[in-house]
Amino acid sequence: MNKLVLAAIVMFSLGARADTPPPAPAPAPTTANAALEQQCRDALNADPAFEKAIANKIGIQLDEETLKVHEAADAQVKMNERHVIYAYAAMWVVAALFLIYLLFRQQALKSEIAALRKDLEAAAK
Amino acid sequence: MKKLVPIFSILAAVGFAVSLYEIFVVTPIEVSIDRSTGRLMASSLFFNYKIMYFHVAHAFWLFCAVFVAGIGSALYLKTQNPKWDDIASAAVEVSVAFGAVVLVTGSIWARAAWGVWWHWEPRLTMSLLLWIVLVGYMLVRRFAGPSGDRIAAGMAIFGMIGVPFIYVLVGSDSHPNSGANGVVATLPPDMRLAFWLSVASFLLWFLALMLTRLDSTRAERELRELRERALDLGVL
Repeated sequence: MNKLVLAAIVMFSLGARADTPPPAPAPAPTTANAALEQQCRDALNADPAFEKAIANKIGIQLDEETLKVHEAADAQVKMNERHVIYAYAAMWVVAALFLIYLLFRQQALKSEIAALRKDLEAAAK
Repeated sequence: MKKLVPIFSILAAVGFAVSLYEIFVVTPIEVSIDRSTGRLMASSLFFNYKIMYFHVAHAFWLFCAVFVAGIGSALYLKTQNPKWDDIASAAVEVSVAFGAVVLVTGSIWARAAWGVWWHWEPRLTMSLLLWIVLVGYMLVRRFAGPSGDRIAAGMAIFGMIGVPFIYVLVGSDSHPNSGANGVVATLPPDMRLAFWLSVASFLLWFLALMLTRLDSTRAERELRELRERALDLGVL
């Protein structure tokens, strides 16, 4: 899916480039790499296959970067889900422990009351 | 009263099932982006906010239980009627359980939302102190001897006075606001049903636990009386 989206973006950008009017002449080179830049620009304009190969390469790099962003977002969502599950589990663990405590206590009290009553009745006789 | 326990429990279970559906299927996740910076706004509600539906519901009934305990204890100290002491004691035990849920779920939510398990900010610290007071109440009743119930009653009143501080008076630097302008009062309409359903379900659960605990408090009193009789008759 991500690749499709990226491919669409690259195609759109190439298409947009074709639709736009021809750019103004490049400004006079001012950097040390200006000659190399110009050479690269000429090579891209001269050979559509080379331009396409470069666009694909950029697309792959973009894809990897996007994937990293998506992976980070996915980890964030999973952490969120995990913590919601932890919180629900904690709530039910506390509730279950309290309930077990109440039931055991009730049971112990009932049996002790019954035993004492029995002893008292026996003593009264 | 005892017959009400299964009814409350069943209603709470049904309410909880419906509220789970509402919380996880119906209520939205709200993500807002600041258009000027392109960043997510702090007011965004990510998936972890769904902890709120039972964290806040438990906090409501915790505060309610502490008030019941405080008022029951005050009446016990005034009238010396053990009925009020039974109610206060049951309410404190249930509030310890509810307080534990509030603290644990709050801590997990803090980890998800703020990246830390605990933050020593006023509301959290006061909530922890209230819980410690409640645990202290139980320890005093158990270990302080014959006058333990009256000392514990004083502690329950002390705890009750702390509740308004936690809920309204104490300022908060990271915990969401409560009170008139708080999160609950300003909930969007599509979250209200899930929230109040959750609150109602936990009210029924709270009442079921209170009645069960009240029953065992009465059994404890009966046991004490039987022991005294047994001592008088030389059975023990």
